[in-house]
Amino acid sequence: MKGICHVFFIIFFCTTSLKAEVTIPDLSSPVTDTTDTLSADQVSNLSEKLRAFASDKGSQIALLIIATTTPETIEQYSLRVVDQWKLGRKKIDDGVLLIVAKQDRTLRIEVGYGLEGSLSDLVSKRIIDQIIVPHFKQGAFFDGINAGLDAIVAVVSGETLPAPTLSSQDTDSFLIFPLILIVVIGSFLKTLIDKRLVAGLSGIAAFVVATFFLTSFIAFLIGLLVAIVVLIGTLGGGSGRGGGFMSSRGGSGSSSYSGGGGSFGGGGASGRW
Amino acid sequence: MKNDRHLLPSLRAAWFALIFITLALSNCGYNALQSGDEAIKSSWSEVLNQYQRRADLIPNLVNVVKGYAAHEQEVFQQVTEARAKATSITLPAEALSDAQAFENFQKSQAALSSSLGRLIAVAENYPDLKADGNFRDLQAQLEGTENRITVARNRYIQAIKEFNITVRSFPSNLTASYLGFAAKPNFAVENEAAISSPPKVDFNQ
Repeated sequence: MKGICHVFFIIFFCTTSLKAEVTIPDLSSPVTDTTDTLSADQVSNLSEKLRAFASDKGSQIALLIIATTTPETIEQYSLRVVDQWKLGRKKIDDGVLLIVAKQDRTLRIEVGYGLEGSLSDLVSKRIIDQIIVPHFKQGAFFDGINAGLDAIVAVVSGETLPAPTLSSQDTDSFLIFPLILIVVIGSFLKTLIDKRLVAGLSGIAAFVVATFFLTSFIAFLIGLLVAIVVLIGTLGGGSGRGGGFMSSRGGSGSSSYSGGGGSFGGGGASGRW
Repeated sequence: MKNDRHLLPSLRAAWFALIFITLALSNCGYNALQSGDEAIKSSWSEVLNQYQRRADLIPNLVNVVKGYAAHEQEVFQQVTEARAKATSITLPAEALSDAQAFENFQKSQAALSSSLGRLIAVAENYPDLKADGNFRDLQAQLEGTENRITVARNRYIQAIKEFNITVRSFPSNLTASYLGFAAKPNFAVENEAAISSPPKVDFNQ
């Protein structure tokens, strides 16, 4: 009896582990094809087109071709992808994902919050049904995808979006200045007033400032660090340490590609062929 | 008492450390609770938005179906009644802690989902209706809205989960009970299965 229970246990765990979710590929280019449906030329052709559109208009459109999304529906998988890739610019949310699950014969256009006005559910559905699927039914995958992406680009071009900037400013970098100030003032004051009191107060001041930018725990660590620096450091050493704290995110190189931090709400449409 | 001279400086340092840690810890709890509460409110208003959007699509849908299948009166009546009931049960963010009100809200939306499913299923018997442009458009919008409802619900569930964890863990549970925050109810699993699989009609089959 016990042996049978063990066998059932093993079978249960084995079968549940078989139903693992499909992993999400890394975002290294606007076009990701894990099924080798497109040739290398076609991939670079589409990739260039989408990159150019992103630098002109700011909106990030990406293509993902995978074999299957099972056990998830394409809607569930697509949302996981865009949550991870974060296509589109932060706060503007102008990302679009065209995802094709070749084996499942399903596809979906996932639209970011900011584009739901022009690239509505209805428009997405029409692009899928009237433009992409007719090509797919003939087995012409590149033609269908190319036409679909052109249609999406046309629709998004009509939407008024903020102009793209060259590099993104990271507000975390503004933390450095108040911290340096605290360290400098603290180092100066400790010659006049009791060292430990000044160190403690500097630490608390740094903590309070840091909580506006970061989580409480990291802010606590920063406060502690500032207190120690003020206590044992000299003026020159202190401000040097303060400068190295945070670094702002710079612009990405032309060969790399990453999401701009946009978010999605489940808008768009799905289809099958 | 010559030990005092060695004891005092380290004691003072210990005091500062203690004050520091206390500040950090109590701050943790307070901030997490406030931001958790805000996350719940905003994700809930998104859920309500999407449910409202679905409710707004229904009158058009009923009219289009009526144009082809006028005598399916029972279905129309059910949908109209379910819609009226669902829109009359409001659940503002402040009332989210009330488990009974929450359950009533869920039930009314689930009832609307199933009568909506029946309405769409009517199209199976009327090929002209199935092919009608307006019907297909409304179908697309309905599917989009159902997906958004699912996404909004999932985000709300996530927000509730994080908030409940903060309310239940030490030491933030002390801050929570002091401020009057209690764990909030979440969407029930059985209704979740019914609502998250929207009624779909496959035109290609």
